[in-house]
Amino acid sequence: MSQPRNAVLVVEDEILIRMEAVDMMHDAGFRTYEAKSADAALATLNGTSDIAILFTDVEMPGSMNGLKLAAHVSATWPDIRIIVASGILGVRDADLPPGARFFPKPYPTDQIIDALHQMTGDPA
Amino acid sequence: MTDRSAARDDLALAVAILAPRGRDAAVAAALLDKVGIASVQARDLPALAGLVGATIGVALVTEEALVAADEGLLQQALADQPSWSDVPFIVLANGTSRHRSDRAKARIDALQNGVVLSRPLHAEELVRAVRSALKARARQYEARDRMHELQTREAQLHDSEAKFHAIADSVDQMIWSTRPDGFHDYYNHRWYEFTGVPEGSTDGEAWAGMFHPDDQDRTWARWRQSLETGQPYEIEYRLRHRSGEYRWVLGRAKPVRDATGRITRWYGSCTDINRIKVVEEQLQLMLGEMNHRVKNSMAMVHSIVSQTLRQAETLDQARMSIQSRIGIMAQAHDRLVKATWTETAITEVVEAALGPHRMSADRFRVAGPDLALGSKQALALTMALHELATNAMKYGALSVETGHVQVRWDRDDHAEPIGFRLSWQEHGGPTVTPPRRQGFGSRMIEQALAGYFDGIAELDYDPGGLRFELTSPLTGLTQQD
Repeated sequence: MSQPRNAVLVVEDEILIRMEAVDMMHDAGFRTYEAKSADAALATLNGTSDIAILFTDVEMPGSMNGLKLAAHVSATWPDIRIIVASGILGVRDADLPPGARFFPKPYPTDQIIDALHQMTGDPA
Repeated sequence: MTDRSAARDDLALAVAILAPRGRDAAVAAALLDKVGIASVQARDLPALAGLVGATIGVALVTEEALVAADEGLLQQALADQPSWSDVPFIVLANGTSRHRSDRAKARIDALQNGVVLSRPLHAEELVRAVRSALKARARQYEARDRMHELQTREAQLHDSEAKFHAIADSVDQMIWSTRPDGFHDYYNHRWYEFTGVPEGSTDGEAWAGMFHPDDQDRTWARWRQSLETGQPYEIEYRLRHRSGEYRWVLGRAKPVRDATGRITRWYGSCTDINRIKVVEEQLQLMLGEMNHRVKNSMAMVHSIVSQTLRQAETLDQARMSIQSRIGIMAQAHDRLVKATWTETAITEVVEAALGPHRMSADRFRVAGPDLALGSKQALALTMALHELATNAMKYGALSVETGHVQVRWDRDDHAEPIGFRLSWQEHGGPTVTPPRRQGFGSRMIEQALAGYFDGIAELDYDPGGLRFELTSPLTGLTQQD
């Protein structure tokens, strides 16, 4: 029996921040997968089918940064909703794939949790 | 010895008279004096030769005096004249050329610049002839002066160029110059010192071959643009040093224009900026690394606060916990700054983390080889040991007199790749029970630490004594992102 599509894939290279994000997801009732780079994230996406939301940082080591990852995921798995969170300034709407949302760091927790619920059609 | 009616300065515009017979000389002198022309008497041909050498204005000589023997002194004096000089001679002859002796003819011909007047002398004829000769002589002086001026200018130009070369070769810059069309025809010594190429081998357009291949298109384009527009040239590129390696230089050039505004020359220089570039690159690298460090530290502080608040039962507890954790982190930071954020020794990190918890000797038994830790790993290990020690003091081996902690680490050279293991083992404390939920400490230990070392961490709540073990590749101790 396949799992419902309600897991969040947290992509963040800094462990402590990733822990923080995962805590936030768990508090809101979501299951999580973790990846520390875009490459690891893609490997996970290819191996699972219950991910509903991609939650990704922008600056990461490896072949792609978070914005490129978001664009790729949006094109390849259009059903997956996307949240980009980053401490860097100057991310414009044009940089995000359609339907994606952006939040700064440190995480405005309540706003993010609201967004997560909206995106999965859960009543908040 | 000569009789003179003129001062030496006026010799140039005076007439030398050689007419030894009878009253000829006196008559001639008087005639000339009447019209304001100075004259000097020469006693004989040698004396006249002397006056020619002394730059007399005009020579007036009788035919018979001219044919006298003089051992070629006059001929020599005439030959010795500077190139601009040709003393005009006026020969007072006795009759027509039909009656002239061959010797006289020869002597007169040898003068080259001679005019013959027949005697008896007509005053007006003599005066006109002398005046005309003096005018011609004056023209010769003008020509001489102009020639001297040109020679002076040439010498000045030569000096000026020598000065330029001396300056151009003494400054610590490479200097070069081109024609208006960009043809390089001058490089100072520094250029040849730097490049090590033979003189002249980079003339014309051959300079481009000294540039790094990746910079050639760019610099050509920029140079062409300057040549076309007259705008100053400035660009950074890599130039091949005589050692074979390329070094960054800053190339600059400005045009020199004539009075009409047309460019007559380009003067340029190359400044070796390789060290600056290297330092710049290093600075960028360092800034990038600092950025990571700061990001990591901020994340750690954020985590300390956030996790502690989740877990603490009272605000007071939270405050103390946060303060002590951030305090430890600040100390660890200090040590890192002292080590300029490069690597530190694991022994130092362990001792520093455990230091505040050492109430007496022997509570901690610490052993392990000297290994280097990266800054991230040092911070994480510090925090983890702090957590373990705090926990041991509250609930574990350090909460009773008889308990102690063994901290050991070592490298495993038999593993592939080479491994690292660190363990924390508590002995003699009260029975251990697992905690109800994960706090900052255990998460820091099991997840963060393991992650930074790219290894695995295990907390084992063995009833006999809490055990913690970190296993990783040896490279995990110092890996950056």
